[in-house]
Amino acid sequence: MPLLLAAEEAVEHGVEHVGVMDANWLPAVTALVVFLIAFGFLYVKVWPQIVKGLDDRQRKIRQEIDTAEDAREQAKAALAEYERELASARDEANQMIARAKIGAQAAAQELRSRNEAELAELKQRAAREIESAKRSAISELHAEAATLAADIATKILQREISAEDQQRLIDDSLRELTSARHR
Amino acid sequence: MLFLAANDPTDHVTDVVLLKTVGGTPILTMHMVTIAVVTIVFVAAMMKAAKAIATGPESEGNERYITKGRFAQLIEAMVIYLRDQMLVPVLGEAHTRRYLPYLLTLFFFILFNNLFGLVPVLDITHLVFGHDAPTWFGGTATANIMVTSALALLSLLLIQIHGFRELGFKGWVVHQTGGLIRERWYIWPVMLIVVPVELVGHFIKPIALAIRLFANMFAGHTLMAVLLGFGATAAKGGMGAWGVGGISLISGTAAVVITFLELFIAVLQAFIFMFLTAVFISLMSHHDEEHEHEEAEAGREPALEAARG
Repeated sequence: MPLLLAAEEAVEHGVEHVGVMDANWLPAVTALVVFLIAFGFLYVKVWPQIVKGLDDRQRKIRQEIDTAEDAREQAKAALAEYERELASARDEANQMIARAKIGAQAAAQELRSRNEAELAELKQRAAREIESAKRSAISELHAEAATLAADIATKILQREISAEDQQRLIDDSLRELTSARHR
Repeated sequence: MLFLAANDPTDHVTDVVLLKTVGGTPILTMHMVTIAVVTIVFVAAMMKAAKAIATGPESEGNERYITKGRFAQLIEAMVIYLRDQMLVPVLGEAHTRRYLPYLLTLFFFILFNNLFGLVPVLDITHLVFGHDAPTWFGGTATANIMVTSALALLSLLLIQIHGFRELGFKGWVVHQTGGLIRERWYIWPVMLIVVPVELVGHFIKPIALAIRLFANMFAGHTLMAVLLGFGATAAKGGMGAWGVGGISLISGTAAVVITFLELFIAVLQAFIFMFLTAVFISLMSHHDEEHEHEEAEAGREPALEAARG
C-alpha cells in the first residue's frame, strides 16, 4: 500500500503548505465534482421550487392587482351610473314639481273663475227676485188703491155728504190707504 | 495573538496537505475538505430556503405565498434581484430561464465559500491546538487558483456549448472572424489579427475570471494576516509593551475595517464571476457586427429605392 496517512507526519514535521501557484489538481477536481453534484441536486430539488415560488407569487400579485383594478373600474362605472340615475331622478322630480305647480295654478284659476261665475249668477238671480218682488208689490198696491177708490166712489154716490163728512171720508180713505201700504 | 506563530502571512491563505503518498504526492488537502463541507452546508441551507420560498398548500390561503424566515427572505431577495435586474436584461427571458440554475448555483457556491473564508477556523484551531496541529478544515477555498480555475473551466464549457447551440458550427466560425468574412475580400487580411484574438479571447475570459476571484480572496486574506501580524512582528523584534500595544491597536483597527471590506468583496466577487459568465454567454448569442451588417443592409436598400425612385 503506497499510500500513507500523512496527518501524523504533519504533526511531527510541521504543516506542509501547498504553494500559491502550485498545480495541485486535487482541489480543482474536488471543486468540479462537488460543484457538479451540488448543481445537479439543486437543479432538481431547489431551483425549481424557488423559481416556482417566485413565479407563483408574481402571478398572484399581478392577479390581485388586476382584480383590484377591475373592482376600481367597476366601482367607478357604478358611481357614474348612480350619479347619472340620481341626476335623472332629480330632473324627473323637478319636472314633476313644475307640472304639479302648473296643475295647481290651473285648478286654482279654474276654481276662482267658477266661483266668480257662480257669484255673478247669484247676484243676478237676487236682483231678478228683488225686481220681481218689487213689481208684484207695486201691482198689489195698484190693485188695492183701485179697490179703495171704487169703495169711496160707491159711498159718495149713495148719500149727500156735508163738508165734515167729506173731510172725514178723505181722512178714512187716507188711513185705509196707509194701513194697506203697511200690510 | 492568533498570528503570533506565523512567519509567512500567506500561510493563513494557502492550502495544507493532509494526506500524501509515500512518494510525497498529496492526495488530500484542507481546501478539498473545506469545499466539501461548505457545499454540504450550502446545499442544506438552500434546501431550507427553497422550502420556505416555495408556495405552500392551498389550505394556508394567502399565507402560502409568504416567505417565512429571514434567511429565506434574504435568498429570495437576492434571487429576484439577480434574475430580474441583472440576468434578464443581459440574457433575455428565455436564456435566463435556461441558465438560471447554473448561474445561481455558481453565485451561491462562490459566495458561501468566500464568506466561510472570513470565519477564522484555522486561527482558532492554531490557538487551541498549537500552530503545528493538523488543520483538516478551514481557509478560503476560493483563494485557491486551482479551485477558481475549475469553476472557470465549467463556465468556459458552458459558454462554448451555448455558442455552438445558438450559432451552429458555421455561425461559430463566422463569429471568430468578427463577421469580416462577410465583408469585401480586401477586408479579409484583417482576419489574420481578428481570428487569433477571438480564439485567444475564449480562453482569456475564463482565465481572467479565475484569476480575479483568486487574487481578490488571496490578497484580502493576506492583507488581514499582514495587518494582524504587525504586533507579533514588533514583539519578536524586541519592542516594548507600549510599542507592541500601540501597533496592535492600530493594525487591529485596520483589520476590522478590512474585514468589512472583505465581506463586501466576498459578495461582489461572487456576483462578478456569475455576472461575467452571463455576459460571456450573451456575447455568444448576439453578433453585434452581424446585426450592424444586417442593419446596414436594411438601411441601404430603402436608400437605394429612394435614389431610384
